[in-house]
Amino acid sequence: MRLINRHPDRAGRLMLVLLPFALLLFAYFVGSANRLAENANDKLLPSATQMVAAVDRLAFTEDKRSGNYLFWQDTLSSLKRLGMGLGIAALVGLCLGMAAGTLPLLSAPLSPLLTVLSMVPPLAILPILFIVFGLGELSKVMLIVIGITPVLARDLEQRAREIPTELLIKAQTLGANTWTLMLRVVLPHLLPRLLIALRLVLGSAWLFLIAAEAIASTDGLGYRIFLVRRYLAMDVIVPYVIWITLLAWLMDLGLRQVARLAFPWYEGAKA
Amino acid sequence: MTQAQHNNFIEVTNVWQQYADQVVLERLNLSISEGEFCTLVGASGCGKSTFLRLLLGQERPSKGQILLAGKPLAGEPDASRGVVFQRYSVFAHLSVLDNVAIGLELVQSPLLGRLFGNAKREAREQAAELLTKVGLGHALDKYPSQLSGGMQQRLAIAQALIMKPRVLLLDEPFGALDPGIRKDMHTLLLELWNEIKLTVFMVTHDLAEGFSLGTRLLVFDKPRIDPHAPNAFGARITYDIPLNPQRRANRAVFDELPAHVAASLQPAV
Amino acid sequence: MRTPRLFSLLAAGLAVAISINAPAAQKDNFSVCWTIYAGWMPWEYAKAQGIVDKWAKKYDINIDVVQINDYVESINQYTAGQFDGCTMTNMDALTIPAAGGVDSTALVIGDFSNGNDGVVIKGANKTLADLKGMPVNLVELSVSHYLLARGLERADLSEKDLKVVNTSDADMVAAFQTDDVKAVTTWNPLLAEIEATPNVTKVFDSSKIPGEIIDLMVVNSDTLKDNPNFGKALTGAWYEVMATMSADSPEGKAARESMAKASGTDLAGYESQLAATKMFYSASDAVAFANSPKLPATMSKVAEFSFNHGLLGEGAQSAEAVGMSFAKGVSTGDKSNIKLRFDPSYMQMAADNSL
Repeated sequence: MRLINRHPDRAGRLMLVLLPFALLLFAYFVGSANRLAENANDKLLPSATQMVAAVDRLAFTEDKRSGNYLFWQDTLSSLKRLGMGLGIAALVGLCLGMAAGTLPLLSAPLSPLLTVLSMVPPLAILPILFIVFGLGELSKVMLIVIGITPVLARDLEQRAREIPTELLIKAQTLGANTWTLMLRVVLPHLLPRLLIALRLVLGSAWLFLIAAEAIASTDGLGYRIFLVRRYLAMDVIVPYVIWITLLAWLMDLGLRQVARLAFPWYEGAKA
Repeated sequence: MTQAQHNNFIEVTNVWQQYADQVVLERLNLSISEGEFCTLVGASGCGKSTFLRLLLGQERPSKGQILLAGKPLAGEPDASRGVVFQRYSVFAHLSVLDNVAIGLELVQSPLLGRLFGNAKREAREQAAELLTKVGLGHALDKYPSQLSGGMQQRLAIAQALIMKPRVLLLDEPFGALDPGIRKDMHTLLLELWNEIKLTVFMVTHDLAEGFSLGTRLLVFDKPRIDPHAPNAFGARITYDIPLNPQRRANRAVFDELPAHVAASLQPAV
Repeated sequence: MRTPRLFSLLAAGLAVAISINAPAAQKDNFSVCWTIYAGWMPWEYAKAQGIVDKWAKKYDINIDVVQINDYVESINQYTAGQFDGCTMTNMDALTIPAAGGVDSTALVIGDFSNGNDGVVIKGANKTLADLKGMPVNLVELSVSHYLLARGLERADLSEKDLKVVNTSDADMVAAFQTDDVKAVTTWNPLLAEIEATPNVTKVFDSSKIPGEIIDLMVVNSDTLKDNPNFGKALTGAWYEVMATMSADSPEGKAARESMAKASGTDLAGYESQLAATKMFYSASDAVAFANSPKLPATMSKVAEFSFNHGLLGEGAQSAEAVGMSFAKGVSTGDKSNIKLRFDPSYMQMAADNSL
């Protein structure tokens, strides 16, 4: 049978899904065991035991100096920043995108501006952000906001333009004014698209968060990673990276579920 | 209502429509009485849909003017003219019931576009009544994507009619439907036209449909063609054929009845 | 049975790929890395002028000198085995390679910071005591952190009395311009830039703790043991540059000018940084420094600080966990786990002109 017509069965599929992960893990632990056999204090590829010990120390033991559970404190701070950043960016992006995508008079000044802004690498203008927003929580949230808002706004503008003209005409024949048309037709059409767009920018948002925390911070997942990197504590870094990956994946899953539950009409309407 | 007013419900005077150097419609003159069912036929690109968009207010004529009940037609779509397109006529994000109720909500609440409490219940009741009439009484809570194509067009018609427009514009509304379903839709449309005092313009590709439904058939065609400049001349109405005199007569008699008698015969929508 | 075999082959391949660790043995090709810092610019000059190549040729080996932009990354690369040697401070030598089990030797003691690191507070006429309750921006767990801790001891304060905010060195100058930042601890050339801001006070600097922040060329001990020529060539090249750059001659000036340019400043800027750096231009000075009993005492203090901040790793039960050896058979810490060696013998050869 030709390769293109061969499909894995259920069990085979599961195996194929797990295989690359298993390979990665296996390679990691073989490499780790080799290095540790050569030098028991090697820090580059810590063993599972070392990582479990590090997690136990950070997540389930009070920190000697501050009396906090560092792992959870880091997670909470990071999620708070990320949540605020994403929330503000979603709101601003939605308003800008909706305005630029629906109203021709606003599209003229906004579209080119958004296009240009979305090309500016925010990390390159960090010093300016510091002066404007300070070094506290605000600048960390703002880095995320500045980083992803133009992308969200551009995407939503595009999506707003894709709403069939027929629907906008129809709403006007049903007595809508500009405002109610946006409120009752454009906005509901954009909300599920917003969730999709948010899922796509989630990766960048994490990137900006970690960059922000690396620059000036006293806690956070990115802070911890950059701090312990100073003494190559990979036994801390590897679990933190796995945790970040897991959180990002859960957030993606969560957004997908929200989209499914809150906008049941959306899947059907796409067809 | 006098006969003169009747004949001049819609008055099209010397209308031209031109995009850049492409003339689409030229020298259109037309007078339509209230209650007429006009079917618009013609080859593709002959300006039928353009004419419909002019009537809708989606476009404004380059030259000439259109009067609706003696006044210049509003230059943008509004509640006086309902429309049903071939596709994308209904809101995918609203249930069948809300698709119809939204018209009442938008008109009554210019600030939020939404009604609450009693007002909302009344709007929904009114919508449900109309939906039952078009045969969607069983599907009030469904989303449009769960309906068949024919059902979606029934919904689109109900949505337009809830506004009680004086003019209903149909742009190939049944073009995408199966022949059997199309037949049901014709029946429904004629029933509604008979019941409600409504002037209908319907663009169709199906000549048989045009003949059987309309009381007046308008054929769009380009009388002059310059082979070196195919865009130099636009289309006109080359034939204007009165149809179905029986239906027309019935309608006229109905209109002659004293208002209170007519009202008692005409079911409320 | 094809899949499992393929699987194990692939896995083994991957494992080998990520565990390449140059085993110590006789070899001919070496590489060392360095990062931009006043006291390490001679390595740039030594490479650019072919001085390293010349000395390597003399001993019949090749030495590649690589500049790395990120300081911590360069040490991590060395610790992971990608380089045979790397420039770093005494504290980082202890907490990164040595605590990571990579037996390392301080081959060349280049200089110690004599004002190159400092604590600056916004406002005029401030003192160390004013740090109480303040946020202090610095690169956490670096020599800046150590300097601050030593300063706080003098003012009878401890780290609990203030809030340390980890701040990337790349952003330190920009950060100082913001209102959130009240005080910083940093190194040159950032320190000079920050001190130049009006209305600030430098309340403490490394000249108050001379000889405690030491800049080294650290090499892998096993590699050095198996290849003494590697050590000889590097040391020989270093002291040739020292002689050139310290000379009050046109050649000396040209050397300093070239280093200044490579570090992104001009001659005046570079010389002001050198003024805050106690360079050991002569090998015998460096040998004397290595032989003095003050060095083991300093390293014990550094080990104490590192242990208190968790830098010696999880296995460490005390500041003694990582053993260190010094000249004249002196050692500190766990003698069965000596991972950092201050070995003046190569510098001695340079002093004796026997290289």
